[in-house]
Amino acid sequence: MRFFYLLIVLYLSVHFVWLIFRSKKFQDQLSAVLVLVLLLLRLCLIK
Amino acid sequence: MSTRGDQARPLHALACLIFAFVLSFLSGRSFIRMHRAERIYPSPGLREQKRLSEYFLPIRKTQGDTDVFIFKGNKPGGNLLIIGGTHPNEPAGFVTAVLLVENIRVERGTILIIPRANASGFSHSDPQEGNPQRFYVPTPTGSRAFRLGSRLTNPVDQWPDPAIYINPAGQKLAGNEARNLNRCYPGRPNGSLTERVAFSIMELIRREEIDFGIDLHESAPEYPVINAIVFHENSAELAAMAMMELQSEGYEIRLEASPPNLRGLTHREWGDHAGIRAVLLETPNASHGRLKGRPSSSLIVDGRDKFYEKASKLGWLFVPYGKEGIPLAHRVARHLAALRALVSSFSELEPDRAIEIEGLPEAEEVRERGVGAFLHSSD
Repeated sequence: MRFFYLLIVLYLSVHFVWLIFRSKKFQDQLSAVLVLVLLLLRLCLIK
Repeated sequence: MSTRGDQARPLHALACLIFAFVLSFLSGRSFIRMHRAERIYPSPGLREQKRLSEYFLPIRKTQGDTDVFIFKGNKPGGNLLIIGGTHPNEPAGFVTAVLLVENIRVERGTILIIPRANASGFSHSDPQEGNPQRFYVPTPTGSRAFRLGSRLTNPVDQWPDPAIYINPAGQKLAGNEARNLNRCYPGRPNGSLTERVAFSIMELIRREEIDFGIDLHESAPEYPVINAIVFHENSAELAAMAMMELQSEGYEIRLEASPPNLRGLTHREWGDHAGIRAVLLETPNASHGRLKGRPSSSLIVDGRDKFYEKASKLGWLFVPYGKEGIPLAHRVARHLAALRALVSSFSELEPDRAIEIEGLPEAEEVRERGVGAFLHSSD
């Protein structure tokens, strides 16, 4: 279960990296950055 | 024709990505630091240092595991357990335990000290309080930082809270009290992390044959149980003797009997389940009261707050609170004076189990010179 959960977080992280490159407006990129920060923190820090 | 705003800009995106990584690194570093316990520098009198998990293996490698400092005298005597950090947002309890570890030497009997009883609570901060992550105590060679934690176990370590918590002693409480160590005694071996920590402390009490336990706390100035010794009924005489000694030294102190129907607390379950003498000490701390102004390290250490000063003038508080506030040094000094009085009263009541401590800083000196003068200087 934990493995699938981490897989989802990883998928979302990659998805938001992709969104940063795809977004055309600065505010969209900024929103994607902030969500990506949360996902990265969740992925790397909270065991 | 597309305008510049409609087009994706790879360089812009790359800069955003780098920004995300830098932000993640900085916040991640700050987050990880909350999980690192500050170093404690034991005095040369330390005989042995253990981990709580040595008394109950299942908490090994969890955030609940914590240091146990053991000071043993050469002469036989009683066994005393002192715990701080049951509530990591009550700094005087934790700092007093650290100060003891860094100063004392035991001549007779044994003293076990757990400065961070709820170690998980030290790894996060209370949400929506705006509390500082650390407070800074000035020492002769610079300030020393200590974590200000939360009253409750970190939800990362124990989640979710039940709607209603029924503690191991059978009392129904609000759901988040499931993460309050001082509601979880005598603990459950297969329970939540907090219950397992409580069970580990009960195991320590049984295996080390503790005679007497002291739990160091703080409370808000508007809370009635303050500047108080809360005692189990088996410790009534002991608490009364200590109170008289403290009053003769000029300390205003209340005696509060542990209510038999308030279950799960140290001063109830240590006495009922382990049969030891048990007391809990409270000093006034503005930094976790409801009437305080902006929370800060200075509010914790200097203890000055204009709102509490006003509340005192309006008669809303249970302790006098003037312009000079109630500094950490005064709160730690009060704990030290109470400890000294309790240990001497215990030794008087049970001469065969007497405890003698050397190097315990004088309360008056701590008030005058500050806590930092008795702590190991920062690295």
